[in-house]
Order: sequence, then C-alpha cells, then structure tokens
Amino acid sequence: MNQKHNANAQPDASGNGAGAEKQQKRQQRQERNRRRKRMGPGLFGRLFGAGGGDPLQEEAVQSPFRTIVRNFVGNKVAMAGLIVFVVLFLCCFILPIFYPLDVTYQDVTQQNVPPGFSIMDMPGQLQGNVVDMDAGSVFGIGVGQDGQVYVWGQLDEQQRDVPQNMGHVVQVSAGLSHFLALNDKGEVFTWGYNRQQLDKIPFEVQDLTNIKQIEAGHQISMVLTEDGELYTWGNENVVSVSVGEYQGTLDKVVSNISTALGLTKDGRVVSLSTNETPFSSIPEEIQGQVVDLAVTDKAAAAITSDGQVVVWGSTDDGVTQIPQQVQGNAKSVSAGRLHFTVLTQDGQVFSWGGNQFGQANAPQLSGVQAVHSGYYQNYAVMQDGTVNSWGLKGYLMGTDGYGRDVFLRLISGGRLTMTIGAISVIISTILGVIIGGIAGYYGGWIDNLLMRFTEIVMSIPFLPLAMILSAIVGNQVSELGRISLIMVILGVLSWPGLARLVRAQILAEREKEFVTAARAMGIRQSSIIFRHILPNVITVVIVNTTLNFATCLLTESSLSFLGFGVVEPSPTWGNMLTGSQSSTVIGDFWWRWVFPAVALSLATISINLVGDGLRDAIDPKSNER
Amino acid sequence: MIKYILKRLLYVAFVFVIVSVVMFGIYKMVPGDPARMMVDTSLSTSDPQRYDMLYQAARERLGLDDPVIVQYFKWFGNMVTGNFGYSATYRMPVVDMVGAPMRNTLLLNLASLVLVFAITIPLGIVTAVKKNSIFDNVVQVGTVIGYSLPGFIIALVFIFLFSVHWPIFPISGVNTPGLQGDAWQMFGDTMYHMALPLLVMTVSSLGGITRYVRAAMIDVLRMDYIRTARAKGLREKVVIYSHAFRNALIPIVTIVTSWFVGVFGGSVVIETIFMWNGIGKVLFDALNQQDFAVVLAMQMFYVVLTLIGNLIMDLGYCLVDPRVKLE
Repeated sequence: MNQKHNANAQPDASGNGAGAEKQQKRQQRQERNRRRKRMGPGLFGRLFGAGGGDPLQEEAVQSPFRTIVRNFVGNKVAMAGLIVFVVLFLCCFILPIFYPLDVTYQDVTQQNVPPGFSIMDMPGQLQGNVVDMDAGSVFGIGVGQDGQVYVWGQLDEQQRDVPQNMGHVVQVSAGLSHFLALNDKGEVFTWGYNRQQLDKIPFEVQDLTNIKQIEAGHQISMVLTEDGELYTWGNENVVSVSVGEYQGTLDKVVSNISTALGLTKDGRVVSLSTNETPFSSIPEEIQGQVVDLAVTDKAAAAITSDGQVVVWGSTDDGVTQIPQQVQGNAKSVSAGRLHFTVLTQDGQVFSWGGNQFGQANAPQLSGVQAVHSGYYQNYAVMQDGTVNSWGLKGYLMGTDGYGRDVFLRLISGGRLTMTIGAISVIISTILGVIIGGIAGYYGGWIDNLLMRFTEIVMSIPFLPLAMILSAIVGNQVSELGRISLIMVILGVLSWPGLARLVRAQILAEREKEFVTAARAMGIRQSSIIFRHILPNVITVVIVNTTLNFATCLLTESSLSFLGFGVVEPSPTWGNMLTGSQSSTVIGDFWWRWVFPAVALSLATISINLVGDGLRDAIDPKSNER
Repeated sequence: MIKYILKRLLYVAFVFVIVSVVMFGIYKMVPGDPARMMVDTSLSTSDPQRYDMLYQAARERLGLDDPVIVQYFKWFGNMVTGNFGYSATYRMPVVDMVGAPMRNTLLLNLASLVLVFAITIPLGIVTAVKKNSIFDNVVQVGTVIGYSLPGFIIALVFIFLFSVHWPIFPISGVNTPGLQGDAWQMFGDTMYHMALPLLVMTVSSLGGITRYVRAAMIDVLRMDYIRTARAKGLREKVVIYSHAFRNALIPIVTIVTSWFVGVFGGSVVIETIFMWNGIGKVLFDALNQQDFAVVLAMQMFYVVLTLIGNLIMDLGYCLVDPRVKLE
C-alpha cells in the first residue's frame, strides 16, 4: 500500500502551481484506465461502457494529490490568496516587458508628482476660446478671449491661487513651478513658487508698458519689451542670463533648464548665456534669416525664412531626425524638454525627438493655428479655437523624489524582489532537503555532525549577519554581483529550519515497512532516499518552501530598506521605501510609500495564506488548529 | 540536570569559538587599513618621515604585522576578558559606549514584552475556546496579516496616523533635545518618545504570538483530561482556566523565556526608523560608518544571546513540564 502511495505521490513534486491542471487531467486518465481494467474487456463493460449510471460501479478512490487539490480549492481564503498572488506575480513579470524601466532615468522637473492623469485636463470653458496658453512642468495655463485665466494639471496650493485682480489678461506663461501673466495694460503678474525672489517683480518691470513677451522658465522669469530690452529675475544660479551687447535688439527669447537663447530683430540667433554651451555653436549659414526659434534641454531648432528647420546641439533622442514633410514648409516651432513640434504653413503639426511619454506622437491635424509645447505636453490650437493635446497626461502612481515613475519602479522592483526571493528559497530548499535528508537517513555520527552544524548556522542572528556580509562584501562587487550576493546570503542562512523538519520526517519514514522492503530487495541507497522516502517528505517541503518564500521577501525588503540589500538605482519594494521615513514624505507625498507598501504587504499576506491553506489541505488534522 | 547544563554550556562555548573564527575571517576581508585611519593624513605631505613613523607605530599597536592566527588569538583573548576593542567613531571603548543604548533597548523591549503577552494570552485563549466562531475567524485573518507585514511598513503606517495625520507622538529620538528637568520629567519625556516605537513593536509581534498561544491552547483542549474535567461536571470557566490554561502555559513559558533573552538584542529596523538610540541602532550606525570593532562585538553579543536563549528555553521546558526529560 505504501509503495502505491509512493508511486502516486511521486509526480506530485512537480505538480504545484501551473502544472496542477495538467496533473489533474493525467490523474483522471489514470483513473479511467484503472476502472476499465477492473471491469475487464468483457461484453458487460463494452455494452454499458463509459460508465453512464452504472449502479454497480465502485466509488472511485481518490489519490492523495486529488484530495489535497480538492481541500485546497475548497478553502476560500487560501484560494483568494492564490489568486492575489498570481495576479501580482503576472503583473511583476509581464508588465515590465511592455513598460521597460530605465534605471538611470531621472527628471528634476517631474519630482513628487501626485498620481493622476490630469496634467492635460484643460477646462471646458477654454475650448473654442483660447487666446494664449502655455505648458508648465506638470500643469498648464490658458487665457480665454474674455481675459479670464485658467490653470489645470498637478498644481499645489500656491499655483492654484490665481491672483483675482489681474484685469483682462492677454498673455500667459508657465515655467517649472510658477506662472506669469500679462494684462492689456501691460502689467505683469506672477504666482506659484515664490522662493528665489521669483515673487518680487523688479520695479523697472512694474513700470513697463510696452511688454511684448513674457517667459517663465526654470525658476526664472523673463520679460521682453517692444524695444528689444530683456529683463530677468528669479534664480539666476540655474539659468544665468546675460544679455550684454544684444540688449535692445531682441525679438524673442526662449529658455530651457540650463540656458536661454534669443532671436534678434534682424533674424540672428544669439546665446544669452555667459558660459560656453552646446547651444552656443549656432550654425553660421542660418544667421540673419531665422524667423522662429525653440530650444529643448539638449538641442535648439530654428526655422529660416524659406521654411527650413535646422537643429543643432546634442543629437540625443533623435532630435536631428527632422520629418521630411516639414522642410521648406515650416511656419513655427515649439519645444518640450526633449522634443520639437513644428507647425507647417498648411496647418499641420509634426513632432519628433524624445518620446517616452508619447509627446512626439503628433496626431494628424489640419487647420492648426498655433502650437504650444512645453516639457512633455503639446497643445495645438485650431482655427476655431478648440484645442487638441498630446503628450504626458500624468502618472498612474505619481513620481518619486527623483522624478521617476513610481508605477514603473513598482513593477520592475516587484520582479527583482520576487526573483531574489524565489532564488534564495530555491537555494535554501535544496540545501535543507539535502542536509536534512542525509542526516535523517544515515543517522549516527553524520546526523550528529550535520545537526550540530545546523545549530551553529541557526545561532547566527540572521539580519545582523546579512547586513555585515552585504556591507563588507557588497561594496567590492558590481550591481549584479551584489544582487546575487543577497540571494546567496538569504539562501545560505535560511535552510536550517527546513533541514530539521526534513530530518524529523525522514526519521519517521525510514522505519516504515516499505523502506525495509526496498532495502531487502537490494535497491540502491540513493534510490531509496530519493525515490521512496523523499516523495513522502515532499509535502512538508512544499509547505515550508511557500512560507519561506514570504519570509525571504520580508528579509530582502528589510535589508534593502535599511540600505544593505539591493541599492539604488535598481528598484525593489524594500528600497523604494527607504527615502520615505521623513514625516514630509509620509504626509505630503503619500504615493511614494503607500504603493510599494501595499504591494509588498499583499505579496507576503497572500503567500502566507497560500502556505497555510496548503498545510491545511495536506494535513487535515492541522485544520483543527 | 547540572551535568546537562554543563554540557550545554560547553557546547555554547564551542559554537561561540567557531562563529568567532568565521566573524574574524569576514572582518579581515574588509578592505582598508585601520592603522592609516588612526594617523593624521595631512602629515603625509608635510612630513612624510614622521607620518611613516606614526603609521608604523599604529600598526605595531594594533598588531597588524602579526600573522592572522596570532591576531585572532589576541582579539579572542581580549574579548573573553571583556575588552571588545575601541570604537573609531565614538572614540571610546566599545564596552563603555553600549551602556546607554543597552538601557534604552531594555526599556523599549521589556515594555513591549509585557504589552504583547498581556494582549496575546487572553486573545489566544478566547480564540481557541471559541474556535471557528466569527470572532476567531476575524482574529485569525488579522494575525495572518499581522505576521505577514514587515515591521517597517507598520512603522510607516503608525507614523502617518499618529505623527502626521494626528500629531500626537514625536517621530524620533529618545528625549526632547536640550530638555532639562528632574528625573521624573526626563522619564516622562522618554516614555512619550517611546510610545510610537513601542506601539509598532507590539503590533508587529501580536500576530505570531497570538497564533502560537491559540495553537497551544487548542492542543490542550483536545486532551483526555479536559474531557474528564467536563464529564465531572466542572464549570466551563474552571475547565478552561484551571485545567487547560495551566497546561497550555508550558509552551508559552518557553517562548516568554526565549523572548526575555531577546530583549537585550533590540530591533535594527524599528530602532533605526525611530532614531531610538538602542543596540540595533548602534549596529546599524557602526555598519554605516565602517566601525568594525563595534560590529564585531555586536555580532558576538548577538550569538551569545541566541545560544543562551536556546539554553534557557530548553531549561524552561524542563522546569515547567516534569514530563520532559533532558538527555
């Protein structure tokens, strides 16, 4: 009987998880074959075949495996845990394929953006009514024909606080974190971020009446008059503007996060920075014929009087791959952080350049009157005043302190966390089964030696040693080496519990008759251990492995949280929480810690539920507990 | 009994030596030269000869020129006689440095120990007696969640609730900086700062221990003598608290004793989050500042704690349960 039990239990080893269904089918087939054999090939069997309602039919004996599956499926809590875990697992292993993570990516303009897709949610009142609009880092601003100003997107308190007494506004501009507005009397207003003297409009600007252009940049404000005079205020450490000899000749000014460029009235492009930048090397052949100018963070584009587009600066993100349709046909150009958008003479728009948020996927439009691009957003104003937008709508789970998408890091971090957990569990299971198996089967001095060794490993406190090892060894190896090191540390330190369990189980099993019988038949020892005894121990191993997986996830996260596991920039659920201990982050930037915390908690809770359910299913007696 | 204890102590000493060899080996793998850190580096450019002399003297003093085996025995001898080395960051002997953190850790852990058992023992008994009731099922789900959540997530949630959303408790530290007052005021201030870490530590241990108590109680309730007691017509209260609970105490007492030893250890995660200047924080800081004399001392301290904890647990078993025979 025991032998038979063995034979049935053997395939169980591979029969967990995805293989369960296949396994069940095979079991059914075996069951059918067995039944057929019992009935014999006689006439009776053939006549009343397929067993339809045969009163004489024996009740099918259920194999232990089927009992386990049935018990497990009947346990609602455990099944819920399994479903949650499978969903999490699939999310972490499939989603990163479609949403790959660039671990080194950072973006200062997108820091701590709350979750939501409201960045381009223009108010309905503005549709068909737009006079001027502009895109800020994660928000937009527009003004209608009645001079009413609207702001939208991810705004903080100060940005939402639009001044009431501005009168009839005609021009607006949005920067990294603040707004500028100009009314029909030539007065300038500013609100939003108010440090770095941004809120203090200089007296000479307050006295101006002939303002032509306002430009809100990276913590800097610029005002250009009809006379070509430029005034700036704000944080001059990031973007240092010096007009110098060009004062009085400027026609348009554009800025990015590091510099500013000007377009003079005689069609020349000039650098308004004292430093030598890639933007300073302006192509000589276009000087004197430039009609429009735009600048991304790394490159600048100009439109010449014959409608040609010329790009200079860095060639990153394919900004030099100008669509052929615009050449000779371009009317105006605008730029985001990494992309250009050009409006052609016949009212079409074309975008190219960096496209990580779809900001270069310009729709097929005709009859466009003006294009306003900024950061990762584009707004095309049609002739009837309606607005089409494309680009960055927002982030599902917000961004962290470096402007990285929390959702992308969450799924990639989950993959890494689960991979580390799984591999360390595999290591510890293999070690535990081998050491426990040998100790249990051979007994005697081998058992004694191995068990003393097990106790020594057990007596080493886990977290401190893992911290020490990763602090000492981890600094000398590469990132991949460090991750592998964590897996090995976790695996090598967590096997003793399983080894003891396996040993105890084997001690009980090896005294049973079927082992004696196998030995009497002269079967090799290794074959007795692995083919006769081990299948009876496998249930213990499966339950323990499941519960161990949760423990390994927790330990890895704790280590990474403390900074001794996987370190930035590679994300794991643990180290995503590292920067979240301050009360500012916990209170104001809740999305930075809530999502990883929920994901990690769901994973460990569901795994523990599955483990408990498995134990109950395998050993119905433990149900009593 | 005495013989058994002696045998176990011998075994403790044996394991201690083995682990000390391993730890010393790891310690020796650390890159960098501790002697160089002790010498003023500005000398190396201004007065190379004097720098070299000082450096050699430092090497001599630290015994770095000896063979590794000799270094090990010197270190081991020092450690056994209570000299755990010199902390580079605190600039004082390790033994003097850990005094205050040890007090803080003890305070926090003892309070948490009392709270945890005051909650879990009644809870475990009630859930075991009312097994499979709605209350039991709710508690069961709660305990699974409780022991699945890592401590730092519980800490983040509690900080959010009680420090940010409702600013009741301070978020970090042992005392208000610069506070002057008599002993009672200082103590009260410490208690106030301890509230949040204590709460987190207690909550994160509730799940596991409740399950443990419940399982122990259920095992006992299945025994024949419980049936006998009920058959005699004893009141249910007497059966549970007098017959069942006393026997369920056996596994509980052992877990309490092993925990009791654990209170000296401290929790790295919780102490780090709340800046609670305890033993775990000392280890964390020492690792971050590469202060390996402290790390080594702490590690050996933890090993001794675990070994003694195991020994006391086994002895506790024997004391409370006469059926257990030590061999």
